[in-house]
Amino acid sequence: MDIKIPEERIGVLVGPGGSMKHLIEEKTKTNLEIDSETGTVSVTSRDDPLSAMRVMDLVRAIGRGFSPERALSILDDEMLILDVLDLSKVVGTKRDMARFKGRIIGKDGRSREIMERLSGAKVSVYGKTVALLGRAEQIRVARTAIEMLLDGAPHGNVYSFLEKKHQDLAKEELREQGFL
Amino acid sequence: MAEGKWGIAHIFSSFNNTLITITDLTGAETLAKISGGMVVKAARDESSPYTAMQMAMQVAEAVKDKGIVGVHVKVRAPGGNRQRSPGPGAQAAIRALARAGLRIGRIEDATPIPHDGTKPAGGKRGRRV
Repeated sequence: MDIKIPEERIGVLVGPGGSMKHLIEEKTKTNLEIDSETGTVSVTSRDDPLSAMRVMDLVRAIGRGFSPERALSILDDEMLILDVLDLSKVVGTKRDMARFKGRIIGKDGRSREIMERLSGAKVSVYGKTVALLGRAEQIRVARTAIEMLLDGAPHGNVYSFLEKKHQDLAKEELREQGFL
Repeated sequence: MAEGKWGIAHIFSSFNNTLITITDLTGAETLAKISGGMVVKAARDESSPYTAMQMAMQVAEAVKDKGIVGVHVKVRAPGGNRQRSPGPGAQAAIRALARAGLRIGRIEDATPIPHDGTKPAGGKRGRRV
């Protein structure tokens, strides 16, 4: 199974002296074949095809701007999924792209931080994409918040929406644990 | 039916629903199928990973009775001019199939990719994502 990641992210995936690559390979019992010229990564698994799929997500997350430490959480929690929003389909001009990315990130990354804290999903704005890493419900919340920002909603409104959803998510979690 | 047969699990996973169809290797004979709405009542839960797990368990039982021991998996997202990445149910479904005692062979992505097709929904300026 092959994926392409940006050339400048290859170094991150390989790590200093190949440490990151070895860590992933060992942890998941997979083989990573990285072509540093084209940015193609192919994942082969020795026995478990499922773990190969997890690693594909992990590689994609690193390629979409997540730091290896944050991306590695994919391997620890089975319910995490990666969702990539493509801004280039939404935004026409280069200046708009910078503006929208700025709106999502906020001053000194404040908006992005609030989004991460209240939704629980990890957010990475990189190149022409916004990547979300979290559980399905968390991603749904974060995604709506980003859509609101792209639609031009004031940050204040988005925060209060996130605040509301944050409580809903917490309640849901309690209820689930109550059932279990 | 002879024992020890393999099948194909077609898993369609969108943000609104998950469908699992298990066929024989030709893909022409359906052995079992299930959708989110057959398991759960609320429409918003149809695509959730928990639902997908229950669906996979039910479908695995049905198919094991028919002598299937393992499945190859074809994962499919809505594709076309909609999302290319599978929804939340896909991974959960595959994992639950494995846990229910079916062997998992190859996993393949069967998302339809347009060679440039129709105009996406949302008008000229687009639905902002």
